[in-house]
Amino acid sequence: MRRWRQVLGSRFVVVPAALAAIVLAWNIYVTLNAHGIVAGEVVNAAGRPVAGATVTLYRLNFITEVQAGQTRTDARGRFRFTDNHSHLIELQAVEGKRTSPRVTVRLWFRAQDRALGKPLRIAGSGAPA
Amino acid sequence: MAERKRTHPALARRGTVALRHLALVLVSAAMLVPFYWVIKTSITDENIFAYPPHLLPTDPNLFSYVDVWYLIPFPRFLWNSVVVSAIAIAGNLVLNALAGYALTRNFPGQRWASLLLLSCMMIPFQATVIPAYLITAKLGLLNSYLGLALPLLSTIICIFVFKASFEAVPRSLIEAARIDGLGDLRILWRVLLPLSRAAVATNVILAFTWSWNNFLWPLIITRTVSMQTLPLGLARFLSYMENTTSALYAFVVMVLAPGIVVFLMAQKDFIRGLTSGAAKG
Repeated sequence: MRRWRQVLGSRFVVVPAALAAIVLAWNIYVTLNAHGIVAGEVVNAAGRPVAGATVTLYRLNFITEVQAGQTRTDARGRFRFTDNHSHLIELQAVEGKRTSPRVTVRLWFRAQDRALGKPLRIAGSGAPA
Repeated sequence: MAERKRTHPALARRGTVALRHLALVLVSAAMLVPFYWVIKTSITDENIFAYPPHLLPTDPNLFSYVDVWYLIPFPRFLWNSVVVSAIAIAGNLVLNALAGYALTRNFPGQRWASLLLLSCMMIPFQATVIPAYLITAKLGLLNSYLGLALPLLSTIICIFVFKASFEAVPRSLIEAARIDGLGDLRILWRVLLPLSRAAVATNVILAFTWSWNNFLWPLIITRTVSMQTLPLGLARFLSYMENTTSALYAFVVMVLAPGIVVFLMAQKDFIRGLTSGAAKG
């Protein structure tokens, strides 16, 4: 019994066990939060929501980017993707000929659910001519 | 006056100690700066050629590690390295302990066997890589875990670490075990190995480090990306991701971290194992 306690208490057991526990906890967290949902809002230069804008999601690699999805904003300027499988994406909103800058979104794991903190801002839209 | 004279040697000794510590701190800092720079660059997105360089990380984040994890088959490389290292460690412990024990016994040509092993240490692996490859191919172990670990299953230096450790155990103890009816294998397992923790730790660390860092052998015998180990992955990464310094350094940290953890866990026994071998001469 004492010998087992000594073995289990040694750093060769404690450190790998602690690492395994951290990995397990992280994987549980990932499983519970990986539905591929990316949500946000599109506003114009005045900060008002833009309805009917097209939002495109690009999947990034170090050297390539691929268009992975498109959706439109609702009456409150909100959009939502539900099938993002990447961890590194770019979003861009287009309304007519006006576009927003591309916003890079880095996620902690693939398909992480994420609500954008800042809205996509379409330059020039709604501003006085 | 006399009192002042008495304090002078103490002050001088303290000054010497302080100077020695200062020198050690400076040398340690010089050795740790490259590690710091690698870690700092891996957690920032700054280019390594940026001028002036920032001493402290600006806007630190861990996203480069996420990129490395997903944009190359890192989990697969990691798994391959872990499996190959585990096989190498197991092989080293079993084969080196047996060989080390054999060298402590008296048998005809024992001295010549030791000399032959020692002389083989002088032959670099690069010189024997072709025969090693042909033997591995004949065994049908190309592109397999066992084939990857094969040249590291037993290493001569570790055999001598075990030999030195076993020779330090009193002969009377071994004779007593023999009188009690224990055979050679049980003497090795029940008497010698429990008394040779430092040698075991040294074997584990050296086998792990050599296997983990091995580049040439996996490069030669792997045929598919799915069998490649981390050093090969690093080379592959470097070949087509040359403009992503932070991700590259994140990869380096991820390759180094397991080795550092294993070393830190076993460093006390490791140092003891090496120095006991040295003291034995």
